[in-house]
Amino acid sequence: MAAESEQTFSETSPALQNAVKSSNQPPPETKESLWLRRLSILSFWAVVVFLGLPIWLKTTAIYRAELPLQEMTEWAEGKVCKPVFPLRIAVEAPDVSADAHHLLRTTQHALDDINDFSAHHLRLMLADPPLTANASQQVVSDGTRIQSDDEDVALLIRLIPVETGTTPRSHLQPFSPTLDVYYSPNQIPSQSSTGSTLATFLAQELHSLFAEEQAQLAHLLSTISGAHAAKVKALSPETSAQLERQSTRALKYAPTYHLTFSLFSPSYAPSAWDIETALRTYISPLLESFSGISNFTVDTQVQLYATFAPSVRQPEYDEETKAWTLRKEDLSGFVNAAEWPLSPSIGKGPTVNFIVYVPDHTQSPLLVNENAGNSWLIPQWGGVHILNLQSESDTPSALTTEMLAPAMHTFSNQLISLFGLPQSPASLPLRISTLERVRAASLIFSASSTLGALAQVYKKLPSIPVPDNVAQSTHRTIVHLQQACDFLRDGRFPSALEHARAAEVEAEKAFFERSMVGQVYFPDEHKVAVYLPLLGPVAVPLVMAALKELKSILKRG
Amino acid sequence: MLSSLCLVLLNALVISVAAGSDYHEQLLLRPLPQNTLLASFNFRSNESAAAFEQQNFRYFPRSFGQILQHAHAKELHLRFNVGRWDAENWGQRPRNGAREGGTGVELWAWVEADTEDEAFARWLTLTNALSGLFCASLNFIDATKTIRPVMTFAPEGQHANSSNLHLLHGTLPHEVVCTENLTPFLKLLPCKGKAGISSLLDGHKLFDASFQTMAIDVRPICGQGDASCFLEMEQTVDMVLDIARSKRPRDNPIPRPLPIDQLECDTSKLYNAHDTCYPLNKGTDPAWTLEEVFGKPLRGACPLTEQSGDEVNTVCINTPPERTVEVRTTGQFAESKLASDTVRCYKLPTGAHFDLVLPEQKMSTGLVRPDPQIFAARSINGHGQERGSTQSIIRNPSTTEAVEIVYLESLPWFMKPYLHTLRARVDTTYESPIKETYYRPAVDRKRGTHLELRMVIPPSSTLTLTYDFEKAILRYTEYPPDANRGFDVAPAVIRILSPQSGDNRGVYVRTTSLLLPLPTPDFSMPYNVIILTSTVMALGFGNIFNLLVRRFVGIDEAPALGAGGLKGMLLSKITRLRGLLGKA
Repeated sequence: MAAESEQTFSETSPALQNAVKSSNQPPPETKESLWLRRLSILSFWAVVVFLGLPIWLKTTAIYRAELPLQEMTEWAEGKVCKPVFPLRIAVEAPDVSADAHHLLRTTQHALDDINDFSAHHLRLMLADPPLTANASQQVVSDGTRIQSDDEDVALLIRLIPVETGTTPRSHLQPFSPTLDVYYSPNQIPSQSSTGSTLATFLAQELHSLFAEEQAQLAHLLSTISGAHAAKVKALSPETSAQLERQSTRALKYAPTYHLTFSLFSPSYAPSAWDIETALRTYISPLLESFSGISNFTVDTQVQLYATFAPSVRQPEYDEETKAWTLRKEDLSGFVNAAEWPLSPSIGKGPTVNFIVYVPDHTQSPLLVNENAGNSWLIPQWGGVHILNLQSESDTPSALTTEMLAPAMHTFSNQLISLFGLPQSPASLPLRISTLERVRAASLIFSASSTLGALAQVYKKLPSIPVPDNVAQSTHRTIVHLQQACDFLRDGRFPSALEHARAAEVEAEKAFFERSMVGQVYFPDEHKVAVYLPLLGPVAVPLVMAALKELKSILKRG
Repeated sequence: MLSSLCLVLLNALVISVAAGSDYHEQLLLRPLPQNTLLASFNFRSNESAAAFEQQNFRYFPRSFGQILQHAHAKELHLRFNVGRWDAENWGQRPRNGAREGGTGVELWAWVEADTEDEAFARWLTLTNALSGLFCASLNFIDATKTIRPVMTFAPEGQHANSSNLHLLHGTLPHEVVCTENLTPFLKLLPCKGKAGISSLLDGHKLFDASFQTMAIDVRPICGQGDASCFLEMEQTVDMVLDIARSKRPRDNPIPRPLPIDQLECDTSKLYNAHDTCYPLNKGTDPAWTLEEVFGKPLRGACPLTEQSGDEVNTVCINTPPERTVEVRTTGQFAESKLASDTVRCYKLPTGAHFDLVLPEQKMSTGLVRPDPQIFAARSINGHGQERGSTQSIIRNPSTTEAVEIVYLESLPWFMKPYLHTLRARVDTTYESPIKETYYRPAVDRKRGTHLELRMVIPPSSTLTLTYDFEKAILRYTEYPPDANRGFDVAPAVIRILSPQSGDNRGVYVRTTSLLLPLPTPDFSMPYNVIILTSTVMALGFGNIFNLLVRRFVGIDEAPALGAGGLKGMLLSKITRLRGLLGKA
């Protein structure tokens, strides 16, 4: 190719050809000098390629800590942990005999037959028998001893033989996880029989007690990932929709919640309220029972001259009901977020707002048009209660505890649903322990999916720096997740919740590391552009020399 | 005589503040020379210490209270200031300067903490939280802008219950105070600017004033027994309005000349043409009403204030007794006269508008304005980009009493004073006025200079304080976007130790802030440096490389390219191209 072009060159310009001929040819190069030149070019290239470029790349590279991507993805896909919920149910029989064991066996059998959700498993165990009849009476009186003995027992069934009344019948204690079952002694199945009314009854009772929890867990599993779908029992669309609504209402789990109770009034009255007593009477007991799961801070404020936002339709007077009405679709704009000081509380954790709105006496009573209600819940945010005072004349300047009672009842109900507590069963400790299990499971899922998201970000954005503490947090998350999962399998739900909580915190910390986003908008092209004034002029002689030498090699060869 | 009377009254009003209802507000109007009007708003709300601890907020704003609790701040003073108080004409500062700050934003607080580091961490929490609450750049108060004054500030509240208090002080002289700071300020009030005197506060007028300062002060107050402790929050606004300027209607805010026939001319003078006019110096006080001056009507009383007792008088006006003041309202009000009729106070009607109407009036007497205890001015001298000096002139006008002051400077780290050049001279004596010095030198990029001097100025003397300083060269990224404007240096704070005022709040005077020009680089410099260095390196590399890999031959042995130089090369290329085209 080179030779050919030389040919053309000499043919087409005779004048230049003459000039070449007229000058002296340089002496032919020696082999040594030729090789020396080639070697020196080669060594320059070697230095550039093997030393210069790697050093440049290394020194300008962004630090990315190693993350266990494979493991993270597996967690996110739910391959590592398949949550199971083995619930231990203690049965306390008046006499431990072969009969009781047999009853247990038959009941367990019946229970396994009804249960169609394999992850949620109820296991019956015989509790230690009370020493004397007196001791048993004591247990009845305080009702907490058994739980404090072994907190991994989800429910205690006490079998009490009675002579009178319809048997078998049951009674769930509202403030302890205890189910009293009354039976007549002849209902204990004999060794030979395979079924009995008492066993079937027990199985049915237990199944219905835990039906809502099962539905919640099943719903949770089905929404999280397809991997679980296979073993999840099918839920009817209505149940599913209701559970969906419940879960969208509920606040995200946090170790601390700030509850803010605010009194809003469009005029200057009432400017005082007996909130301290009201809170102590109506809200504190509820918060105490939740204290195992989260902490709460409570603050209150009085805000006067609180007007509606101008963009919202003002209340209208309804002649029929003699009341001022708000339309249901305007309720979302009722809280004037721009002007009402409802800023979140300082400190970690979400703020739940509860608003008592006392309408002006010229606009009282103020009701919701569609259902004549006066309170509503704002999902994941809080609740509003319009307090219509009975007095005909002026609004009183202070609200007493009695006046606040309806509002406080509304708020405790709203708090329960904001907290995601199931509607049934009637026993509060049971509902709270259900919440514990649901929360543990959902935290494990959310921490795992955060890990998965982090892994994806790591893979998709090669230009973001990843500091070491992200890797450490990731490792800690995985350790906590593993522990939470193990505790779940062992049926130790409080410990599982604790580790799931820690895992969630660490996962969030890893994902929201601030220094990771800094260089997203500083791609590699910028780096090249900054160094181009150096790289360009250096590269040109290197490349030209290499090309020229290659050309001459080809020409000779 | 009159002046001293009205002073006594003002102090009495201030002191009576200490106990009483949970919420109280007061507006004091005082006409000043040159057709200006001083309006002093005061809002005070109390919360019992127990309710505050339990976070049951009634009049105390919740958002603010939570910040204080979170940062463990036991006493806090926050100031937003615009403009300069003209002491020569207007006399003594409102509230003895105890409720005003330096230009921009000033914050100082007593924070409870076990160690200094903990205190500083809490201070940062406090500034960050307040920054969000007041829409101000308070979060820029970092270690370089924070000092720990020793003599200048004393706590106003009673801190018997708390130990390990740390005083921290920070300023932002560059901060522009504007309406976005007023809105959160008003939201902290129980009546929120919807009723009471706060309904007069309007951002357009407030920030158009010749001087205005907004202050928030929180302090704990304990009764005789420890049980009755409460937390007092005082919000004050002092503003000096130019009456003529404020009366401009909002729809026509630009001053335009009046038609010639509406001008009031001095007809006693000779005119050579009909279109000239000497302004008539009428020597009268101008006419004004509250609504005209503030641009908004006063919407009656805030009903949360006490309806009986000493503190019902919400609006007071301090004028000579002969000045006509008419009240225009539809509701019920009450008037009372105090301090030999120089102060007229009004109890506002609830739910009805209230207005004061002052007609134009020729005055024969005036109030004697009390002189301030000192006059202070500070300036930067010198030239060049490297050094400069500052000069503060503090004058004691009293002919009988010496004044003892504490002078506090908080300088940014890039302004490095030479302490050996510090000179304080008094024109009447050779004795050094400096009694005590507290100096904490700056550390580059870590903290600023903190200088406190206790000085005594003899009667009718002037103290001149000078020191030289060096200007540091900043790093490229440390310059603000408007680097050529210069850097603001916080005002000096002067506290008058003696003669002391009646209350425990102290007497303060602040100088204006300084504008310090620093050497400013060309901001394309880094790229120029990169390109220049790269070019030099590339040149060096190219030379060495060519020396090593080129073959050197005699000039007559050089190949044909030399014949035409660049031109020849180009020609050969063109002919070659032509040949190729011709072939094709």
